[in-house]
Amino acid sequence: MTDPIFEELRFRNLTIKNRVFRSNVSGRFDNEDGSLTQTRINWECKFAKGGVGAIISSYVPVLMEGRIIAGYATVHRDDFIPLWAKLGEAVHSFGAKYIMQLSHSGRQMDLPGIHNQHRPTLSSTNRKEPLHGFLCQAMTKADIQRTVQAFARGAWRAREAGLDGVELHAANGYLFTQFLSSGINDRTDEYGGSLANRARFLLEVIAAIRESVGRDFHLQVKLSAIERNNVIPWEGKGNTLADSVQVAKWCEQAGVDALHVSTGSLFPHPLNPPGDLPIEVLAATYDVLISSGVYGFRNFLLFRYPLLRPIFRWIWFRMKKGLPFEAISIEEARAIKATVKIPVINTGGYQTASVVRKGLESGAFDAVAIARSLIANPDLVEQWRAGREQPAIPCTYCNKCLVNAPENPMGCYEQARFPSRDAMIEQLMTIYRAKPQLVVPTPAEV
Amino acid sequence: MASEPVTAVEAWRLRRNWKVNLLVLLAAIVLVGFLAALVVGIWVLRRISDNSSPHYPDIVEHFKYGSIGAEPSSGIPYGIWKVLPALYPDEFEGRGDFSAFGFLYETDADGRRRDLPIGISQRKVRGVDVVWLNCATCHTGTWRANAGDAPEIVAAMPSNNLDFGRFVRMVFRLSTDPRLAPDRLFPIMEEQGIELDGLDRLIWRIGVLPIFREGLLQTRASLLPLMDMQPPWGPGRVDTFNPYKLLQFGVEASALTEEERIGVADLPAVFDQHPREGMNLHWDGNNASLSERNLSAAIGAGVTVETVDHEAIERVADWLGDLKPPASPHRPDPAAVARGKATYMTGCASCHGYQGDGAYVFEGQSIGLVEPIANLGTDRARLDSYTEAFRAQQLEKLFAGTPYQFRNFKKTDGYANLPLDGLWLRGPYLHNGSVPTLAALLQAPEERPKAFLRGLDVVDPAGGFAAPGCDPAAPPARGYCYDTSLPGNGSGGHTYGVDLADAEKADLVAYLLTF
Repeated sequence: MTDPIFEELRFRNLTIKNRVFRSNVSGRFDNEDGSLTQTRINWECKFAKGGVGAIISSYVPVLMEGRIIAGYATVHRDDFIPLWAKLGEAVHSFGAKYIMQLSHSGRQMDLPGIHNQHRPTLSSTNRKEPLHGFLCQAMTKADIQRTVQAFARGAWRAREAGLDGVELHAANGYLFTQFLSSGINDRTDEYGGSLANRARFLLEVIAAIRESVGRDFHLQVKLSAIERNNVIPWEGKGNTLADSVQVAKWCEQAGVDALHVSTGSLFPHPLNPPGDLPIEVLAATYDVLISSGVYGFRNFLLFRYPLLRPIFRWIWFRMKKGLPFEAISIEEARAIKATVKIPVINTGGYQTASVVRKGLESGAFDAVAIARSLIANPDLVEQWRAGREQPAIPCTYCNKCLVNAPENPMGCYEQARFPSRDAMIEQLMTIYRAKPQLVVPTPAEV
Repeated sequence: MASEPVTAVEAWRLRRNWKVNLLVLLAAIVLVGFLAALVVGIWVLRRISDNSSPHYPDIVEHFKYGSIGAEPSSGIPYGIWKVLPALYPDEFEGRGDFSAFGFLYETDADGRRRDLPIGISQRKVRGVDVVWLNCATCHTGTWRANAGDAPEIVAAMPSNNLDFGRFVRMVFRLSTDPRLAPDRLFPIMEEQGIELDGLDRLIWRIGVLPIFREGLLQTRASLLPLMDMQPPWGPGRVDTFNPYKLLQFGVEASALTEEERIGVADLPAVFDQHPREGMNLHWDGNNASLSERNLSAAIGAGVTVETVDHEAIERVADWLGDLKPPASPHRPDPAAVARGKATYMTGCASCHGYQGDGAYVFEGQSIGLVEPIANLGTDRARLDSYTEAFRAQQLEKLFAGTPYQFRNFKKTDGYANLPLDGLWLRGPYLHNGSVPTLAALLQAPEERPKAFLRGLDVVDPAGGFAAPGCDPAAPPARGYCYDTSLPGNGSGGHTYGVDLADAEKADLVAYLLTF
């Protein structure tokens, strides 16, 4: 009997070799202008080599105004197509597929960078993001139409680059969530109010992509099944599972090929990524966010001073009580899968082979998307194939990778997993091993 | 030119800055106001919560000047105490102090006259200096061998000088004196050297004076009708229980029966208390517990259940326990003393104990027991002033629910047989001080002086103090003429020894002068 983890997964327009996706995750690998670098290619190939069936890119903005962190590659220019093509070629060379995650931050912009720092971000609402106090202003209809077209062009560029599909990041608090969420969207026009109105922007983007790339290019949508938007206690709770099931159905009807189920209407969120929150590390890395939002300095003080930490600890950890680190949203995935015919991918701390197998066999999902456990062990899939239940040195869910992301290279920062600090740093530096072909610029390029 | 804000967040902050600044300013004002209020509040609170009293390490000083807790409920604010001589120069005989009422003044270590007399203690009451009585008020007196000598002050002897009744009547005048209004009183206080700052004046205006005047009005309303029914108390005398009925239990003076109205009796000596434990104490022997008698006496001095300073009282009681009276200055003929002792041992010692060689012997078949009035025949007014109804209230209400609750008071039918230690300092004699000398006490009642001056402190070779005769119908300008014909003042009874021969009486007096 074959291991369900290693069965092929056939989407309408795409087949991948197993049931493991590298979930979207990135570091500040790329250039300020949004062009990707060799480091990103090295990063993605690390997982392709490790045996995952497909890689969902990091968050890729379709407009410079939709970046979450300056230094993440974008897909807002046609002349970036060859760069993405090279990335696709590299990943394909290790036998994995590559799906670009098309994204827009909306108000959830952590590091605006020189392009965005002078203006509020565009969102569904004028209300500040509640955790960091990121400023925003409600999009006009013209803004919406321009953004819809930007997504369509982004998908077209991905296809032109020879990538294997695109994913719309409609989860975790970014622009699509800001429209979908009843806890955030306070519009009174046809993009606000009822669930159908709130889903209108997402469905318009899907339609525009289909119009742009045709019916035979893989398109999946990542949704937060339950928003739990009240991390800051006085915020509304946001969409329920029933709301998300309905949105999932509409996506299917609109021609989406797969759904990727996550949770939470912020990123990070107490339940996503599940696990600990190392506030003592935040005390050292959150400084780069102080100027990003009007609550930045307040938050820094909460992280910096041990006497104040219990305040944030209460805010953050009160939602986690009694919930596992692994398979945290499996039941939500199961509920969505039960109502759609297209495959469902689930994310949320997966690291144990039997848990994944059971989820596949029981019909909770068709695949899993994994980020942190693969950062800790890029060969996780091969270790499973070798019969391990968990990798020899598993991810501890410490989330130090998460809180280092704004300031330091992406990688595993759990020193306990390494023989020494030097070994940990060596691991972090592996993504710089393959060097780009450096050239002498032409006069026009200088 | 102002530069553009670097980020949208900075722009937002700048737009919002005036609100923040306003908020910070308001918060700062509130904070400063709060802190100022806090500082002022703490300062005021510290001042008005000060209930301290001076501590006197020396026990004699403590007895004379230490507080027993009478000031909070009964006292006179020190500032008023100081201006009283200026307010009533006639009453004070122009002396500028309280000696006109028989209060005794000592000099301090530097030879300066002390500010307060013996028997007046001082305590802060909610930050205000208040003075009032302690044990020494009624139990410190003077004697001298000759009229020209300086008086010797003796702690624990009866206060033979103090005319407490007259003093109280003077204090009562304050309650209706328009000069006690703040605007009239403050200048008088300033003239007397009492400086009040702004807070003091406020506290005096809204607290001290209204509370003092109100309390005084109530006390006066209760007590004055009683005092008006009684003959003037005179020096060395006080009504122990009737004021107590009025002030502690709210009894109206008019509700007192005619028999009980006059409880005025002599202030007693309080030497050598330990040997008296278990004897029936008070003139009528109504309590055999020393500590209960002490507390009851303290109530008479003005303490209440709430304000009493038990520790201070117990300190005094410990000291008095073994305090011996000073040796008698009389030098009678030893042969006469020996003869007199023989007579005494036969007829007197079983009731009163006796003076041994150098120490008093507190032994005798009937010492400390109550002798029925029917046998004694002395004036019964003091006996009748202590009633069964009053006793019931004492036992029910005083210190109820505390370890100090009164349990030992009883109604008796006579007067107690008392030890006679320090007898030379205890004249005039009998419970009401109606017989001026020991020699007079050995006379038949009808031959005893009908009226005599009280309040003198020159010792008399006949025992007691000089007490020249006087005419109540034409009393002398100074001094108090004690009239034995007035209610409560009767000098009859205690006829023991009146039938002795004159020589035997002289011998007996000679022996008694050695006590």
